[in-house]
Amino acid sequence: MKIKYLLVGVLMVIIGIVLVVKVLPSEEKRVKKRFHLLSEWISKSPEENSFIMLQKMKDIGTLFLEPCELKAQNESLSGSYTRQEISAYAGSARSHFFELDFKFYDLHITFPEKVIAKVTLTARLIGKLKTGEQVDEIRELDCLLKKIDRKWFFNQIEVIEVLKK
Amino acid sequence: MEPTYPNGGVNFCWRLQYLFSEPKRHDVVAVRFAGSQVMLLKRVVAREGEQVEFRNGKLYVDGKEIEEPYVRLPCNWNLPSRRVEKDRVYVVGDNRSMPIEGHHFGQTSKIRIIGAPLL
Repeated sequence: MKIKYLLVGVLMVIIGIVLVVKVLPSEEKRVKKRFHLLSEWISKSPEENSFIMLQKMKDIGTLFLEPCELKAQNESLSGSYTRQEISAYAGSARSHFFELDFKFYDLHITFPEKVIAKVTLTARLIGKLKTGEQVDEIRELDCLLKKIDRKWFFNQIEVIEVLKK
Repeated sequence: MEPTYPNGGVNFCWRLQYLFSEPKRHDVVAVRFAGSQVMLLKRVVAREGEQVEFRNGKLYVDGKEIEEPYVRLPCNWNLPSRRVEKDRVYVVGDNRSMPIEGHHFGQTSKIRIIGAPLL
């Protein structure tokens, strides 16, 4: 009888552990979620109205830490940006597109410190400009995110220069 | 890499090609462009320490014109001379009929060269 209760107890503990692991998101999942949100908010459908556009612009800024550093081949883009500047820049860039699909692939996440996540990934932008021109760009990015109050924020984004002219 | 390799074509990469040797001038190599899946096929035109430049569409390495029989489309590129840095090679595609600004080329780390096309 005792063995029966013991087995049931062990089984319940195992089920509890599995549930906790499955239900509670790991830090890696939390970081991936931030990329998913960024991808969703940057992307644009042809039916997007002004209200959604303004909301997305505002939302994009909330994913970043102030200031956020951007490093790119194009020196005019490199520098430190505030949330407002990032929102404004994203809004301006999106306004040139009729349709835009921005996705992240191959996310490789490491945690050099408990509150820092380093992510190497592939970013792909497929879109149609308002001028009718098709755009299909792929870049490798190195991103640094910092954890503040259980939330991850983009702190540094570097566009990797694979081919230096 | 047109006309040598058609755009969007399928090929296989021999990853052991540069296990015991270094990429040489005129070799076609697969360069890891992003993540583990996005590769570019490019041709090595200069190695570390060499000066590379384009004058009226012609390739010059260390001041000498290099014959490139694989470039069959018209090219009018001009690029000032630059030195290839340590542990890097200079790669260019064969299709140079497009404006120089729109072409992916330049010096890349040897680590990014993952092999050579099989066909």
